[in-house]
Amino acid sequence: MDFNRGDSGSNLQSEINITPLVDVVLVLLIIFMVVVPLLMQGYDVDIPKTSSNAKPAQAEESRLILIISPATCGILKPPAGEGLPTDCRVTLGDQKIAATELPARVAEILGSRPAEKRVLFLAADDRLNYEGVLRILDLAKSGVEDLKVEFITSY
Amino acid sequence: MQASINVTPLVDVVLVLLIIFMVMAPQMRKGPDVRLPKTEKPSQQGDERGRILVSIDEAGGLWVNDKKVAAEQFGDALRAAVAAESSPKVVIRGDAKLNFRQVREAMQAVEQAGFRGVGLIAKGRNAEARGE
Repeated sequence: MDFNRGDSGSNLQSEINITPLVDVVLVLLIIFMVVVPLLMQGYDVDIPKTSSNAKPAQAEESRLILIISPATCGILKPPAGEGLPTDCRVTLGDQKIAATELPARVAEILGSRPAEKRVLFLAADDRLNYEGVLRILDLAKSGVEDLKVEFITSY
Repeated sequence: MQASINVTPLVDVVLVLLIIFMVMAPQMRKGPDVRLPKTEKPSQQGDERGRILVSIDEAGGLWVNDKKVAAEQFGDALRAAVAAESSPKVVIRGDAKLNFRQVREAMQAVEQAGFRGVGLIAKGRNAEARGE
């Protein structure tokens, strides 16, 4: 590709420098490769050890337990549309509250604790719909930063 | 003599590559089609490296990464998948129609394979607005 032969004095370069273009394309490719796996969203939860010698994460009395039962919140089928049924009530600690109050109540109880002690224990009935349980979990997590959630699987 | 290269075919090729990526990206996920639960604001689940994908389809069938496994072999399949990763994290993609029991059983199987934490994958409202 020696276009400038015969005129060796002037260094006329007739080819486009495609390096910046290749740079841009490679960066775009890398952005895509990095972003695509990140698109997954969800909730981190802990599962308690089933072995009996595991120590409880917290002293019994300071645990905050959220109980979702089909008797007070009948989400046995996927909830229609957004959010939860308006009559959905859950048990937080020893009080029955409306699910919509969850962010405020969880923030009230756990907000003042140090971050590593912000643990919510979640006991959900087996018959409940998974999507409904996740929506309640979403509500509970929305009130406080860095809330850890632990499922109680044998209650 | 025309001194400038005609870049139009190059740009064509690049744009086509970009479109191919944009179309393929949502389908590059491993595992079965799962209608994820829709919630308000799930948090990001970190990157793909070391992620072990456990999917539970509408009928309750269990998948580890892109293979369907029988319930009694689930623990073995999970341990095999764990052995292939250096810093594994388990995420569960459960269908929105499932009962909590089916997800809980999967979580307990994951716990028996030696994990304390899992990620429960949901679809945020923003992701839905983007058409994913």
